[in-house]
Amino acid sequence: MEMNPLEAGTGRKKVALVIGSGGAKCAAALGLWQVLQEEGIQISMAVGSSGGSIYAAAISLGFDLHTTEELTLSLWTRDLMEGYATNLRRAMTGEARFNESSGLIDDGPLTERLRQAFGAASFNDARIPLYIVSTDFYTGESVVHDDGPVLDALRASIAIPMIIPPWQVGDRLLVDGAVSDPLPVDVAIKEGAQVILAMGFELPIRKRMRSYTAVTTHLNSLYMNNILKSTFAFHNLAHHAEVVLLLPELDPAIGAFSAEQFPTVIAEGARSAREQLPYLRRLLSTQPVD
Amino acid sequence: MNQPQNNRLALVIGSGAVKCAAALGVWKVLNRVGIEVDLLVGCSGGSLFATTMALGYSVDECIELTQRLWNRSITRKRDTRSFLKALLPQVFKFDERFGMFDDHAMLKNLRAVFGESTFTETVVPLYLVATDFHTGEPVVLDRGTLVDALRASISVPFIWRPWRVGERLLIDGAVSNPLPVDVAIREGVELILAVGFETPAPRRIKSISRFVFHLNSVMTNNLYRANFAFHNLAHHAEIITVMPDFTQQVTLFDTYLIPYVIQQGEHAMEQQLPYLQRLLGEIHSS
Amino acid sequence: MEIKTSYHDQVAVVTIEGSIDALTSAEVSAHLAGQISQGYHQLILDLNQVEYMSSAGLRAIMDGLKASRQSGGDLRLAAPQPGVDKVLRMAGFPSIMKSFPSLAEAAASFKD
Repeated sequence: MEMNPLEAGTGRKKVALVIGSGGAKCAAALGLWQVLQEEGIQISMAVGSSGGSIYAAAISLGFDLHTTEELTLSLWTRDLMEGYATNLRRAMTGEARFNESSGLIDDGPLTERLRQAFGAASFNDARIPLYIVSTDFYTGESVVHDDGPVLDALRASIAIPMIIPPWQVGDRLLVDGAVSDPLPVDVAIKEGAQVILAMGFELPIRKRMRSYTAVTTHLNSLYMNNILKSTFAFHNLAHHAEVVLLLPELDPAIGAFSAEQFPTVIAEGARSAREQLPYLRRLLSTQPVD
Repeated sequence: MNQPQNNRLALVIGSGAVKCAAALGVWKVLNRVGIEVDLLVGCSGGSLFATTMALGYSVDECIELTQRLWNRSITRKRDTRSFLKALLPQVFKFDERFGMFDDHAMLKNLRAVFGESTFTETVVPLYLVATDFHTGEPVVLDRGTLVDALRASISVPFIWRPWRVGERLLIDGAVSNPLPVDVAIREGVELILAVGFETPAPRRIKSISRFVFHLNSVMTNNLYRANFAFHNLAHHAEIITVMPDFTQQVTLFDTYLIPYVIQQGEHAMEQQLPYLQRLLGEIHSS
Repeated sequence: MEIKTSYHDQVAVVTIEGSIDALTSAEVSAHLAGQISQGYHQLILDLNQVEYMSSAGLRAIMDGLKASRQSGGDLRLAAPQPGVDKVLRMAGFPSIMKSFPSLAEAAASFKD
C-alpha cells in the first residue's frame, strides 16, 4: 500500500485550522475535522473566533465527537433568549440600566454550560496549539488569547454585542471576536502556518424588519459580513502560501438546532471539506519546506 | 463630466462627520500650490465636501456652504414619531426607515445649496458612496441629482432614515466602505490622496442607544482599517494618507469646531506636500 | 534613503535610513529579494531611522515578507518610529507579521 506522504518523515507543512464566527453552524467544523483525521492530515494549530472558538477549543483539547455534540446541543438552546423582550423594553424606556457591561439576556446559564464543558482547562492543556480571538470593547481591536483559562477566552469570544454581556478578562472588557476578526486567518499567518484551512459563515440577512432590534441586528450583520469580506481579502493578499476557504452550505436560518439536525450539519461540513480534498492532497504532498 | 481627463490624482474623503471639513484644509493647500485634482470620491460626511469641490466652488465658498449645510438646526428636532415607534413597535407600525432625527431641515439645507444640480454639472468627476440597506453592499453613485446622492450617502443609521434612490434603499456609505480608495483605483488613478478619520468611540455608555452607537463606531473603524489594508496591497501606485490630528473630541454636532478642523487638515496636508510634489514631478517627467 | 546590511548568525539585519515610499520602494524590494536569494531567509528590517512609510513602502515590505516565508524563513520589524508604527497599524501589518520595539528583541525572537 502506498505510504501516505504526509506521514513520511520530517518537514511536513504547517497546516492551520481556522474556524470563524457562525453561531451554532460552526459545528460543521467537526465534519471537516473528521475528514482531516480520515486522511491523516495533521494540523499544527487551531484558531477560532466567536462561535468558531468553541470548536477550535474542543478539537485542540481532544474532545470526542459525542462530548462535542452534547456541548453543542446544551449551548445553543432556545431558552437562552429568555427574558430578552422584557429586558429590551426596560432598557429602552430607561427603567433598567444599560451600560457597557450589559446584555439583553441573562448570561448565567450560558456561562455555566461553558464551565461544565470546559471546566478548568487552560491553553496549556491543548494538544494542538490553540488561539482564540475576541475584541476589546473600547478600542475595537482584536485580542488573541493563547494562555490562561480557556473558559475566559471562549466566554469573551462569543459575547454577541447587545445580547450577551461583555466579559472582563484582566483589565480588558471583551466582546465577540466577530466585531474585529470574524475569520482569523491572520493569526495563522502570523504564527507561521503554510496551508490554512478556513471555515467561514456569512451572517444571514433579514428581509423584513419589524422592530428596533431587528434593524440593529440587521445592521450588525451587514457590518460583520463586510468586515469578514474585507479582512479576508487583506489576509488573502498577505499570505505567501495558500488559504483554502470552506463555506458550508447551511440553511441561514439555523440559530439553535436540535439533535436531529446535528448529523446534517456535520455532514455538510464534511462534504465541503471533501470537495477540496484533491487540491489539499496536492498542496500537502509537494516537497515541504524546512 | 464623467470621464477624468487625466488619471494623475484623486482626492478621496472618507466618513467622519464634522471632521471631514479637514478636507477643505487639504483643498486649500492644493489650490495654493496649483495642484489639480482629477477625480473626487466622497463617503458619508466626506460626500458633502467632495461635492462642493467638484462643483468648482472656491475654498472660501466651500467653507461658507459647509456652515450653511451643517449646523445645529439639522439635528435639533428629534423625530418623536420614530422614537415612539421604537418603544412600542406593535402600536406604531415600525419599518426599516427608522431615523431618530427629522430630516426636513437637512433636506431643506441641501436643496437650498444644491438645488436640482446633477452629477453632469460637476467640473471634476465625482463619485459618492452609499450602502445598500438590504444587502450591505457598497453602492457608487455617479448620476442623478446631487441632493439624492448626498442624502443617501450620509444616512447614518439611527440618526437619519435610509433614503430611496431608484430601486434601492440606501444608507451611510461607512457601513460598507468608509474610505473608498477602491473607487479611485478602479478608475485607474495613479496617485490617491486619501483623507481619512478613525472614529474615536465614546466611552460613557449609559443607555442602550449609546451602546449601539459605540458598536457601530467600532465596526466602522474596523471596516475602515480592513478595507484600507486590502486596498493598500491592491493598488499598483501610491496612496498618500492624510490623517489630521485632533487634540480634542470632534463629535457629530460640534459644528463650531469647523475652523479648527480645517486648520488641522491644512497642517496634515502641509506635511505630505513635499512628497506629493516630488511624485507629481516624477509622473510629469515620465 | 540608505540601506545597510549586517549579519548575526543566520539573521540578516537590514537597516534603512530615510523614507520608504514610491520613490525608494523598488530599491528596498530588490535589496530584500537579494538577501533572500543569497540564502538569508531570516530577516530583520530595522526601522529605527525610517521617518516615513507610504503605501508603496508597505507593499515592498509585504513582498519581502512573503518571499522570506516562501523560503521557510520570516521577516520581522524592529523599532518603528511612532508615525511609521501608526501607518503599519492602519495597514493591518501587526496582525500578520511580528514587530518588536527594539532590534535586540527582534533578534532574540529568531532564537525561539
